[in-house]
Amino acid sequence: MKRITIDPITRLEGHGKIEIFLDEEGEVKNTHFVIPELRGFEVFCVGRPAEEMPRITNRICGVCPEAHHMAATKALDDLYHVEPPSAAKKLRELFYMAFYVTDHTTHFYALGGPDFVVGPDAPKYERNVLGVIAKVGLEIGSQVIACRKRNHEVIKMLGGRHIHPVAGLPGGWAKAMTKEERDEIEKIARENVEFAKFSIQIVNDVVLSNQAYVDMILSDAYTQPIYYMGLVDENNHVNFYDGEVRVVDPDGNEFCKYAPHEYTEHIAEHVEPWSYLKYPFLKKVGWKGFVPGKESGMYCATPLSRLNAADGIATPLAQAEYERFYETLGGKPVHHTLATHWARVIELLYAAERMLELVQDPEITDPNVRTIPTDTPTEGVGVVEAPRGTLTHHYVTDERGILTKVNLVVGTTNNYAPITLSIKKAASALIHKGTVITDGLLNKVEMAFRSYDPCFSCATHSLPGQMPLEVVVRDAEGNVVERLSQYI
Amino acid sequence: MKTLVIGLGNPILTDDGVGVKVAYAVRDALASDGQDDVTVTEASVGGLRLMEMMVGYDRVILIDAIQTPGGRPGAIHRLTLDDVASAVPTQHSASTHDMNLPTALEMGRRLGLALPETIEIFAIEAKDVVTFGDTCTPTVAAAIPIVTEMVLQTLALAESATTR
Repeated sequence: MKRITIDPITRLEGHGKIEIFLDEEGEVKNTHFVIPELRGFEVFCVGRPAEEMPRITNRICGVCPEAHHMAATKALDDLYHVEPPSAAKKLRELFYMAFYVTDHTTHFYALGGPDFVVGPDAPKYERNVLGVIAKVGLEIGSQVIACRKRNHEVIKMLGGRHIHPVAGLPGGWAKAMTKEERDEIEKIARENVEFAKFSIQIVNDVVLSNQAYVDMILSDAYTQPIYYMGLVDENNHVNFYDGEVRVVDPDGNEFCKYAPHEYTEHIAEHVEPWSYLKYPFLKKVGWKGFVPGKESGMYCATPLSRLNAADGIATPLAQAEYERFYETLGGKPVHHTLATHWARVIELLYAAERMLELVQDPEITDPNVRTIPTDTPTEGVGVVEAPRGTLTHHYVTDERGILTKVNLVVGTTNNYAPITLSIKKAASALIHKGTVITDGLLNKVEMAFRSYDPCFSCATHSLPGQMPLEVVVRDAEGNVVERLSQYI
Repeated sequence: MKTLVIGLGNPILTDDGVGVKVAYAVRDALASDGQDDVTVTEASVGGLRLMEMMVGYDRVILIDAIQTPGGRPGAIHRLTLDDVASAVPTQHSASTHDMNLPTALEMGRRLGLALPETIEIFAIEAKDVVTFGDTCTPTVAAAIPIVTEMVLQTLALAESATTR
């Protein structure tokens, strides 16, 4: 049996490895997607006061500390049975939208973008942000840096610190917003909306106007009908900060909708002997293996999933893009995983518009931002949409608020099974008997999972001493017949 | 000379946080010294974010964990940016959610950002970077005061060079 290893995956946080097993005929027999797992988070937390969790969990990962901070803060609201004042919820959401704008911007321009802007078959040393700048111009690089900078300022202003925010408290937010801060953030939000519109234009100019790319997005190699998950508000509109979790089936019909604390009734985890990972699946459908379709309990939670799981978007420009998305791609739901990049830019536009709405809300500077908890704590669940998927924090404490049980289902974890399936699908479509394994071809396999924006820093972390993309092709006896490697 | 000292890593992931712990120790030592042209901070990701932090500084000292094949836990490496670019990225200089540090710095330079002339890197060989815990393993912890002293000496040498 031949074995191809992509190890570790370029432009992917944490250490991941793809293995492609070929049969005697040279066809793809199976694929594995393996990453090491961090250990002992629950042990680390148990015995500590629950109120430390927003500051502990935002240390789990340097990529989305804001998402962990927010899920932890909401879990504390639930744990202490306390409802934050309206202004506090709006401040939290405003803070969260600034985070979304930076995170989606980074992925689109630095991680997902190079495949499309520079091209999937371009030389590997050009397939990065420098290649994007070379192709589209220095101005775009300056815009990306400026966007990140101004939104990092908002995160600091509202969250109290640049990287690891501290403002989330059970029952509210640590500080109210001044009128000066409001004016400054309103200006930033307006710039964000313009930047998001510009990003939509890039999708149009670079991707949608190139028939080869559209064909690739629509091709079978990157298509898999599965269940989709996302948070929705009372109108079934996409919401990143709050709401109920809605799941739609591969035909787009609502399968279930549940409150965050009901998650254990709906989600279970499957274990495979070859991986440390646990694969969440829909309990009421059941685990049927790494297969697509209505009979398989696999679901995914990504920007594409969120659009599929909702009936629309609550802001006007993003709603118009939402409609154009489904008109262009042949109706709802869309099963083409590469379309996730476009969905991400639509979410960027929504986050920017929502940020402007929130900062213009007269209530946003209301000084009442805290409801002091008075109940005895018991158990709490907090859910937000992290950029990479639905993020759940679940805490149980004793009557003093000391943690006795902690469970987290992090964004990317939801997508372990669909990522594994996507890799197999792409590899099977692209690698056949006699195929010459090129760098561009393996990059196309990588693109299958890069669309998920996978980040394993909170599920795993260990970077090795080197970051090559190494591909080893072995014959049936395990001898290396070909080796490709690159440094990112 | 405006200097930034950055401890990189996750302080609750056993040895991964060794760089942050050294940075705390450097900050404490400098607090009694009153050097106002040295800023000490911490960060947990590399690449773009790290490059953005460096804007406006003349000189940067990075302290990070590293895992090299066959490396002895607690061993101290002094690296340059060229080392990081070619063969041995430290734990956080190659964070791939954004991009690796050399690529990010190249991007910053092309955009005309004011980036430091010199970047010095202290990397400490880590043993365990996958278990949650707020203390380092003993051999790695033993390196903390040594690296702290090395960083302080490096800062002091730069100081005397400037005054001379």
